[in-house]
Amino acid sequence: MMNETCKVGMEQADAILEGYPHAEASLIQVLQDVHRAYNYLPCDVVAKVAETLGVPLSKVFSVATFYKAFSLNPQGDTIIRVCLGTACHIRGGGALVDEVQRLLHVAPDETTPDMKFTLKTVNCVGACAMAPVMIVGEKYRGNARAARVGGYLEQGGEDDAN
Amino acid sequence: MPTLTINGKKVQAREGAYVLEAARQAGAEIPTLCHFEGLEPWGGCRLCQVQITKNGWDGWKKMVVGCMFPVEEGLIVLTDTDEVRETRRVVLDLLLARCPETPLIQAMAKKYGIERTSYVPNPEPTDCILCSLCTRVCDHIEVSAISTADRGAGKEIAPPFHEPPEACIGCLACAEICPTDFIPFKTSHVSRSIWGKEFEMLRCQDCGRAHITKAQAEHHAAHRAETTGVSEEWFRYCDSCKRKRQAARFPGVPQLA
Amino acid sequence: MRIDSREQFETLREEIRAAEAGNGNRILVCCGTGCLANGARKVAEAFAEQVGKRNLDAQVKLMVKNTGCHGFCERGPLVVLQPSGVLYTRVRVSNVAQILEKTVENGEIIPRLLYKNPADDIAIEQYSEIPFYKNQTRVAMRNIGRIDPTAVHDAIGAGCYTGMTRALFDMTPEQVLDEIETSGLRGRGGAGFGTARKWRSCRKAEGDRKFVLCNGDEGDPGAFKDRSIMEGDPHSILEGMVIGAHAVGAHEGFIYVRDEYPLAVVNLTLALTQARYLGLLGENILGSGFDFDIRISRGGGAFVCGESSALMLSLAGKVGEPRAKYVHSTEKGLFDLPTVLNNVETWADVGAIAANGGDWFAGMGTNKSKGTKAFSLVGKVKNTGLIELPMGTTLRHIIYDIGGGVLDDRPFKAVQTGGPSGGCIPEQLLDLPVDYEKLTEAGSMMGSGGMIVMDDRTCMVDVARYFLKFLTEESCGKCTPCREGLKQMLAIFDRMVEGKGVPGDLPLIERLAAGMQVGSLCELGKSAPNPVISTLRYFRDEYVAHIEDHVCTAGVCKELTAYRINPENCDGCAACAKACPVDAIAGERHSLHIIDHDTCISCGACMGVCPTDSVETFPKNELMKEVV
Repeated sequence: MMNETCKVGMEQADAILEGYPHAEASLIQVLQDVHRAYNYLPCDVVAKVAETLGVPLSKVFSVATFYKAFSLNPQGDTIIRVCLGTACHIRGGGALVDEVQRLLHVAPDETTPDMKFTLKTVNCVGACAMAPVMIVGEKYRGNARAARVGGYLEQGGEDDAN
Repeated sequence: MPTLTINGKKVQAREGAYVLEAARQAGAEIPTLCHFEGLEPWGGCRLCQVQITKNGWDGWKKMVVGCMFPVEEGLIVLTDTDEVRETRRVVLDLLLARCPETPLIQAMAKKYGIERTSYVPNPEPTDCILCSLCTRVCDHIEVSAISTADRGAGKEIAPPFHEPPEACIGCLACAEICPTDFIPFKTSHVSRSIWGKEFEMLRCQDCGRAHITKAQAEHHAAHRAETTGVSEEWFRYCDSCKRKRQAARFPGVPQLA
Repeated sequence: MRIDSREQFETLREEIRAAEAGNGNRILVCCGTGCLANGARKVAEAFAEQVGKRNLDAQVKLMVKNTGCHGFCERGPLVVLQPSGVLYTRVRVSNVAQILEKTVENGEIIPRLLYKNPADDIAIEQYSEIPFYKNQTRVAMRNIGRIDPTAVHDAIGAGCYTGMTRALFDMTPEQVLDEIETSGLRGRGGAGFGTARKWRSCRKAEGDRKFVLCNGDEGDPGAFKDRSIMEGDPHSILEGMVIGAHAVGAHEGFIYVRDEYPLAVVNLTLALTQARYLGLLGENILGSGFDFDIRISRGGGAFVCGESSALMLSLAGKVGEPRAKYVHSTEKGLFDLPTVLNNVETWADVGAIAANGGDWFAGMGTNKSKGTKAFSLVGKVKNTGLIELPMGTTLRHIIYDIGGGVLDDRPFKAVQTGGPSGGCIPEQLLDLPVDYEKLTEAGSMMGSGGMIVMDDRTCMVDVARYFLKFLTEESCGKCTPCREGLKQMLAIFDRMVEGKGVPGDLPLIERLAAGMQVGSLCELGKSAPNPVISTLRYFRDEYVAHIEDHVCTAGVCKELTAYRINPENCDGCAACAKACPVDAIAGERHSLHIIDHDTCISCGACMGVCPTDSVETFPKNELMKEVV
């Protein structure tokens, strides 16, 4: 774990920490902002957060591994989220995961070696009416089909909606 | 002081006590794995299940964990009914599947009639039952070097990032409190290792025995002096030599060899 | 501009209403997650631009109708024209000019943009005439789709904060408690605890510092009504919380929002800023002398944090491991101080009750379950989306009259309610009136209002296994029965769906389930076996088929299921061959296609695309027999 993925700039972390009261109650909010800024939780930043908020490092590590929103490893440029809510499950969400795995050779929570994609499964994004749903980057794909997964990945994750 | 009826016996319990304490006082045998006097009750292992009821509940009984349920006036506690035994049996059966090779779990399960687990035994047997005693005692002494990591079936006890924990003082509280001796450590005349971290030992200035890590003495002096009332000086001699020195101050007491 | 008195507030509200009444044309563009995904923002921008260019007397409003609100998200972006009430679906930027020219300026309808009722394929002009919508009674979702959630004036005009004004100026905290008690309101998060009772207990608790919390950690898969309220009408939640804070004597509040709901966070944050700016929140609310403020906290992504003690620990920056609740959180909750926690929908109901009176709310619903309830109707049903109905409405009415029946008119098998803590209700109970008690009696529960319709192609063993897998990942791991029990239960199901079940499995499941129900620490663990128990209760034969015959009768479990193409129906369109991810289907165009069983991975992609319904499943073990 203590490798090059730890060494990152601290400027963003400092700015984030400035915006919150230095107390344990801020921990999850701070980690979320850190995750958004760095796309994962670099261990140096985690240590910095622990020190600044006055929370033991072990507790921060515990929180960082307990909640699904956090990853301690760098994520791919594009995150593929396949919804596995109940509605998506019975309408074939599992086949979408299988297809992504087959195409990219990554299991859920893994990243392709070229760091392009990370596959994640989510427990319902609340878009059940479009089930099954997968989100490539920012792009929601409703009524998604396994046969089209390759196309979704090729077209990338630009959210043309916004 | 509230009066309870435990397995038909009237018992006076300490104000603010929990049912487990009162029931054990009354002679009831209740198994526990995550409970430790002096630490906050936690209620994770679920072995100390008992049934409670009250006059006026029309015979309705509720299953609670004894270690966390506060005593109340008029509470009727049953610690060994069929329902209680069955619930404990399910828990022990599951623990035996998790820790098929752990003597303590095997023995406890056997007491409830389980020789072999009903489930598929863990292909990678562990002795850790995730009672969290180690992390809780570590928090209690204000070190917090280790914690739980992950969640659900993947939960484990670990130092941050699975690296030797910077905060650890090598006090062995975690290893000693562990009911299954899961946490390995090594102590020699000069050093101790635990959680992958090496510690320098302080040696008793009288007998020369390595009795405490330097980090532990420093931690006490730096952070705990107010509560424990001791300084680094205190650790110059080991406990047994300290006792000898105390005893020597009483004239006429025969000196121990 | 800060509002300093009740009179000022009421004047403002009436001014807004008068302005609305005088404003002729409004164009509402749905900007819920679903419609946004389909390009709604560009459509809204195009409307805004062209309305300006054409000098039209029309106002373009972004209307967040939660995804699937009426099940039309897949037909999004949706546009509603007012005052005519015409609904257009799948509106593209290229349609904007035409809509403005024909419909807005000349009152002409564009038929191809209209919504078609899937039940009879008849186009419906009026938004309000759509069967899915017109059969509903909306209280918690009263403003969703009618207002722009980013405009506080819209909310005020629609009546928001009127109940709060009444509570703060006309009622003592005791009177508020009485009004809520009269309404019979019970927690909408699923357990159905009496709201007034909870509040009273917190009011009585000793201490000056108390908290009022909103649970927006809607974690049940298949439920999204809370998301829609947070996205679509955030002010109704704030209003309810102020009323609750007044009743219990709290001055600090938190809204805990699921991290997977980014739009909800944005809209709630904006609403808080607006409410503070106008003096509807913060110090001396509307000059009443009452102080109360709210902060937003984003959850970290853990289902267990929907459980109250875990949620409070999570708010405090800790791991969400539930604590034994032998002491109520109304006495010892967040930071060990007295705390009231209610669900998003409950808070949204509170404002309406304060405005219209407890009797009005209690006039709807059943004996013990009063008022209305929001559900998300999803799965294999024709009209999917959010509905709100009086308690006591039958499942049949919901699924057939509102939902339009099962997708593709296939046979109904079950409806799953209550998420991972709930169960599957079979066909013979379709006339069950839906309320807290009846759902519990049927072996399910209200939960956060997910209703997932399942047809004959749904395997109940697979459904139970799905929830077990979900819970295994979401269990906090603190207590033995939940952590180890779920793992072992899932292992049993894993072997069943692979055809490796053994005769002792069913009794073992039942014993373990009972032990988990009694022995687990929190409600998540105690209710975790419910999907298993309810499917065993109603669909035991499917379990037996998996274990004894190694057959998945629904044709779902991959290891037990093979696919073939019925030669009588196949017209050789090659859609299946194109859809097949592993090229297992061969055949000339316009002639029969055949599946190679050695290559086939039983993914079902071919079945999903076949226009002639020629792809069938059959038990895989028949293949073995053929070989022998």
